[in-house]
Amino acid sequence: MTALVELEDIGKSYGPTVALRGVSFRLAPGTVHALVGENGAGKSTLMKILSGVVTPDRGILRLRGERVVLPHPRAALDRGIATVFQELSLLPNLTVAENIFLGHEPRNRWGMVDRRVMEERTAELLAALELAVSPRCLVRQLSLAERQFVEIARGLGADAQVLILDEPSAALNAADVEKLFRQVRRLREAGTGIIYISHRLEEVFALADTVTVLKDGAEVGTYGTTDLDPDRLIALMVGRDLVDLFPPRATETGEVALAVEELRLSEAAPTVSLSVRRGEIVGLAGLEGQGQREILRSLVGLVPCQSGRVRVGDAVLDLPLGAREGIRAGYARGMGMIPEDRKEEGLLLDLSVAGNLLLTSESLRGALAPRHKAREEVARQVEDLAIKTESPEAPVASLSGGNQQKVLLGRVLGPELEVLLVEEPTRGVDVGAKVEIYQRLREFAEAGGAVLLLSRETLELIGLCDRLLVVHGGRVVGKMRGEEATDHAILEAALAADPEAGGEAA
Amino acid sequence: MWWIPVVALLAAAVYLSLATDRFATERNLTNLVAQAGPLLLVSLGQMLVVVIRGLDLSVGAVISLTTAIVALELPAPVSLPLALLAGACVGLVNGTLTVRFRVHPIIATLAMAGILQGVTQLLRPVAGGRVPEVLGAVVNGSVGPVSTPILLALVAIGGMTLLLHRSRLGLHLFAVGGGETAGSFGVAEGRTRITAYVLCSVLATLTGLFIAGRIGSGDPNIGGPFSVDSITAVALGGTQLAGGIGSVGGTVAGAAFLALLSNGMNLLNVSAFVQTILKGTILLVVVLLQPRKNIGL
Amino acid sequence: MRTLRHWLGSAPSYAVFLVLLAVLAATRPEMMKLNILGIFFRQVVPLGIVVIGQLLVMRVRSIDLSLGGVILLINYLLSSGFFGQDHLLWMVTGSLAIGLGVGLVNGWLVAYRRASAVVVTLAVGIVLIGIVESLANGRPPGDVPDLLGELYNWRPGGIPAPVVLWVLLVTLMSLLLGRLVWGRQVDAVGANPEAAHLAGVPVARTVLGAHVLCGLMAAAGGLVQTASIAVGSLKFGPELVLNSIAATILGGVIFGRGTGGVWGPFFGVGCFALLFTLMTTLGIDAPVKLIVQGAIIGLAAVVYGLRRP
Repeated sequence: MTALVELEDIGKSYGPTVALRGVSFRLAPGTVHALVGENGAGKSTLMKILSGVVTPDRGILRLRGERVVLPHPRAALDRGIATVFQELSLLPNLTVAENIFLGHEPRNRWGMVDRRVMEERTAELLAALELAVSPRCLVRQLSLAERQFVEIARGLGADAQVLILDEPSAALNAADVEKLFRQVRRLREAGTGIIYISHRLEEVFALADTVTVLKDGAEVGTYGTTDLDPDRLIALMVGRDLVDLFPPRATETGEVALAVEELRLSEAAPTVSLSVRRGEIVGLAGLEGQGQREILRSLVGLVPCQSGRVRVGDAVLDLPLGAREGIRAGYARGMGMIPEDRKEEGLLLDLSVAGNLLLTSESLRGALAPRHKAREEVARQVEDLAIKTESPEAPVASLSGGNQQKVLLGRVLGPELEVLLVEEPTRGVDVGAKVEIYQRLREFAEAGGAVLLLSRETLELIGLCDRLLVVHGGRVVGKMRGEEATDHAILEAALAADPEAGGEAA
Repeated sequence: MWWIPVVALLAAAVYLSLATDRFATERNLTNLVAQAGPLLLVSLGQMLVVVIRGLDLSVGAVISLTTAIVALELPAPVSLPLALLAGACVGLVNGTLTVRFRVHPIIATLAMAGILQGVTQLLRPVAGGRVPEVLGAVVNGSVGPVSTPILLALVAIGGMTLLLHRSRLGLHLFAVGGGETAGSFGVAEGRTRITAYVLCSVLATLTGLFIAGRIGSGDPNIGGPFSVDSITAVALGGTQLAGGIGSVGGTVAGAAFLALLSNGMNLLNVSAFVQTILKGTILLVVVLLQPRKNIGL
Repeated sequence: MRTLRHWLGSAPSYAVFLVLLAVLAATRPEMMKLNILGIFFRQVVPLGIVVIGQLLVMRVRSIDLSLGGVILLINYLLSSGFFGQDHLLWMVTGSLAIGLGVGLVNGWLVAYRRASAVVVTLAVGIVLIGIVESLANGRPPGDVPDLLGELYNWRPGGIPAPVVLWVLLVTLMSLLLGRLVWGRQVDAVGANPEAAHLAGVPVARTVLGAHVLCGLMAAAGGLVQTASIAVGSLKFGPELVLNSIAATILGGVIFGRGTGGVWGPFFGVGCFALLFTLMTTLGIDAPVKLIVQGAIIGLAAVVYGLRRP
């Protein structure tokens, strides 16, 4: 049987960061082929290459045995490869129907876009997914879960031979996932080859026929799902035993360092209260898009909220904090924040390592203060954090992902820092750097700091945190100790609080 | 938001017909359309560029250049295509600079404006020359009882509505303006952007032809105010300067409102200088009404 | 060798300046005298001072297109005797106050109301021009106070006073950016406003500060520009805006990127001084100058766009 898709020895680098080092991959028709690996293992890059978004540096791509080049997304679509991307790519200013048919619009006999046909077919696709949304609705008005479904509908509507689903279920609850599975199985029956990327291993075992494991941009191996069990798969993904990855948990904790009281995200939302003690690392867990990010961000004014209070040590801040001064108010009281998107929100890529490391501490002293003469301080930080850089004056963009993340960590960690808010501490970072970052976070906690973090990687949450708070619908619906938590327990806690299973994000 | 210019338009019209008996006359209204026509044409083009998150500061210079080209006293079959070709080339260069060479649209079109002004002054240092008679005949003529400017305006509005709100290109323009991800949908992002710049420059050229027909000569400075005026009309019509949102109807209302404003102030004997101040203030107010996420350009 | 290449590579203006200097020396060796070049450099001082402001706002991803209006207004007020005829202090503080006011308005609208900088400063410029036109009502203003003319022609140590002022201001700005935390914040906001905000940089305040300083520089440029002419005029300004952007880009500074620092744009203005000298001695007309300026902006920006990864 000829493979639908054959990728051979694909390599891709972004500057100094190697994303893929010679990966091969084979997709047979009528199968669901899962692609798994940690964040930054290269799954998304590989799929972007297959969908024509990214051009590989080297390697061969064959479709049904025929060698092809996909210079742009259009070329991939024309050859029957449709993609549902992980990072929501829908255009908020267009309607649902326009988003679904953009790029292959039906046209009437005058050559104009046939909106009637477009909206009818959209309605059919949405009905198959049991989604009650008007085709004329603007995407910006939809919830995260609804948008996710529209993305899926777009992939289904393309009538493709190859369908790539990149984390399609991240924002979906169990009932929604079941609807998605029904559609995927229907396509498999029809002979479509489906590539399924997911962090949720139980989904992989429930749906996939074959699994390919990637790690640090290289292929670990391809296995039949029947030959594997979850523990073995995790070991393959991480490349070592989980115990070695994470530092030991806290043995004792101090007084409350961060207390969130009666936080209300919106007028209609329930209140959230939580606290983190000195020496503790607390994680916000649950399905994606259930308000974890909003809770964390509202503490420093990055997203608006309705009301509430934050105590940092002895200081009390009334929420909502202003968008303009919130983050500075946090820093001034010893509360720092590390955002998820290192390149867009975290680092200043064009600035030097030293400039990035010093920016926060300098800014707190005021614009008219003289600059630090901080050569030693920077050198010490570079050494402490084991940042691999040519020189402290080199632009941060020239560093690898892991080293960039360490710079970001170093910028926030200062003698005055008491509370650290972290989103996705190790996104796009190799295993070695991961271990170091976990170690740093633990050291910060052991020195009397408090950490509140959120992560998509359940493994990371379970392995690193002392306590987990399961968030669903903008509420804390469950609490568990890190050593007792499991993937399953977290989902259970989240869904127990969701009787209607509507999947609406808060 | 879209109703603001319409309401303002109606209010201004009602106020003017009450305040002066010279407003609601047939002659003044015909005049008004003839005055609004050029602004309408150039604003429709500007809107296309604004929708894709660009800005074209060279439309004024294109208008001046066009009047200079047609006033070269070449035969009409030569000078008219020449002017259109020049306009299309300007748009192609603007688009290529911004898309392929990643020059910021403000820098690209500002540089282009400077170059075109220089060329125009070389061709026609001071106002003068004669334009082909056909231009005057078209612009000042009428088909049956309807004057051609009204007819041309209707054609422009209809054509642009089809283009932006019905055609595939229109949908792609909105998609490109809506976010960075349009490319992953299979939209040819670069080509769509360049097309917007070309159409904008061509519409500016048509504006220049219209004006040349009205004044009967070339003028190196006549286009000057149109760059800013067109941006004002577009913004007034509810098109977001941040891109992705806009409508032909809004732009028509915005351009009509500006034309009505200057027509009315002329009738009420408000000095041209005060009108300048007022126009600047309107632009400021409109821009303040458009909330944005980013600080800066 | 490596530092030299680094220095030349930081801004196109250095290399262009050297080339133009060589061309001038080859074609008109008699011009290569300090006092003759001094006169030509004195001519571009208003541009040079304005560029100090323009480069600041461009480094924080903004732009100021209202400079022409500020200069026109200051020129009108000075030459119509609004600030008196004989008190330098009044003229200077009056002009700077106007620059400060315009800078505050621009900066507030751009940074705190998040309005598009192009449109805001364009509109403010139009309002200022309208104000001058309606104040003048078609009549030319009057004579420029003699005091300003005398200062303009003063040559301490053989170097024209305006050139001295220009170099002083550039040095001052270089120190502000290089020695204060503010300089780092300007870099950070330019590199990525979102990330700068999350790092604790007061982004809006930084942008406001840049616009205020830009307004002050426009006022200072307006003072020198006025001093350079005997009689007030209602026509100039627009080409100054275009040139200020051209010199800034030539100097290695473009929206959000400040590799050329303050001295890159300084030499960018120097290039214009030499270019004007060359074009004048070669008898090239104003329209061609416009074309050359436009081409310089376009080319410099293309080089930048290509260099971006």
